[in-house]
Amino acid sequence: MNENESQLLEGLRALAAMEPRQASPRVEQTLRATFRARAERRRRAVWGSAAAGFVAIAAAIVVLFLAPLPWHRNLAAPPAASELPSDANNVAGVQYAVVRTDDLAASFYPLPEADELPPLETSLVVRVQLPVSSLELMGFPVSEEAGAEPVQAEVLLGQDGLARGVRLIQ
Amino acid sequence: MFGVRSASMLVLAGACAFAQPPHRGMGGPPPGGPGDFAFVRGEFGFSRKLVTGAPYSAQASTQFTQTLADGTHIQRSSSALLARDSQGRTRTEQTMSSIGPLAASGGTPRTTIFIHDPVASMSYVLDPNAHTVRQMQISQRGGQFQQNGTARAGAGPRARGQRGGNATTEDLGTQVIQGLNATGTRVTRSIAAGSAGNDRAIQVVTETWYSPDLQVVVMSKTSDPRFGESVYQLTNITRAEPDPASFAVPPGYTVMQGGPGRGRPAPAQ
Repeated sequence: MNENESQLLEGLRALAAMEPRQASPRVEQTLRATFRARAERRRRAVWGSAAAGFVAIAAAIVVLFLAPLPWHRNLAAPPAASELPSDANNVAGVQYAVVRTDDLAASFYPLPEADELPPLETSLVVRVQLPVSSLELMGFPVSEEAGAEPVQAEVLLGQDGLARGVRLIQ
Repeated sequence: MFGVRSASMLVLAGACAFAQPPHRGMGGPPPGGPGDFAFVRGEFGFSRKLVTGAPYSAQASTQFTQTLADGTHIQRSSSALLARDSQGRTRTEQTMSSIGPLAASGGTPRTTIFIHDPVASMSYVLDPNAHTVRQMQISQRGGQFQQNGTARAGAGPRARGQRGGNATTEDLGTQVIQGLNATGTRVTRSIAAGSAGNDRAIQVVTETWYSPDLQVVVMSKTSDPRFGESVYQLTNITRAEPDPASFAVPPGYTVMQGGPGRGRPAPAQ
């Protein structure tokens, strides 16, 4: 900053100190009115957004907990009788256990030799009591801890009387 | 399958944990006398496919032979009387003195009668000794049933080469066995060395003779060095309609509510 510039700056500061400048009353009124209008718009926007959010949340609550959406219906509505996974059925007034052959094969542990035997034409399930260690004779993998304590098992036999699978009951 | 095996192993592990034997007793006698197992009861039985219009009766026998490393031969046998009527109802009168290599305890073989009535979707298991019958409904919604001749994988004799990549299948042609035309198939499966702890390959041979007319296996032989040799065959085959009474519960039997794990008397009807 050179000497001229310093003198100019000091002159401006002196001028500002002598006569502080203010906007005219008309300009001030106009500015105040403008600020009020803008603040009002902001308030309205905030309240509008809050109201919209509240409505959206309320709608979501209604939708999720009260309205029967498809997936909701599947959980809440009782299934048709034909869809019930019942394990009992009523035939001529008598309750019978239902054995689903579809699930039967999967519920038995397949014996290693079973894969080499002729295919099943007839399936017979018998309950036997035997030492766990005896299962080894059928090719069933038996723990070294197994012994002579008897257990009950169901054996799936084929038409040839040979075992295809086994499952332990006890 | 893995899941099933895993679950079974868990169950077995639990059973083993409860066993806590003082010593390892291979084939230790179960209650009821010497033997590998004690027969408790028949649970249920059913046919894997519905065959109508081809009635027959026959006697079935299975001979199981196992040769031990020291040359000892172990022989077991079981037999059954089979019948099927034109409607597809089946009756199996099974006399069990063994299950494969396992011998039944108690001396006297137990006979159990399995009746499957696909018309009524019912299964009956008769105990001729106790004069009790266990009955239950059979559900085969998965399409296990099939009408005559419409072969379906898993229901009839297996398709060729179904036993895995190491299996070879030979067509043995047609022979007359017990008065029936039967088509023969020999499946040889090789278990590669090392796959089961074996230092040499194991050859398992299964020969099956199947009657297309009756849609039954009339004879089969399985030779497995690991377990032994079994021979199954039908004899005294007659194609007349069996006595309808064979597929009904005889009078005087006490009805037990059937189903796996059940066995209580049914309430009075």
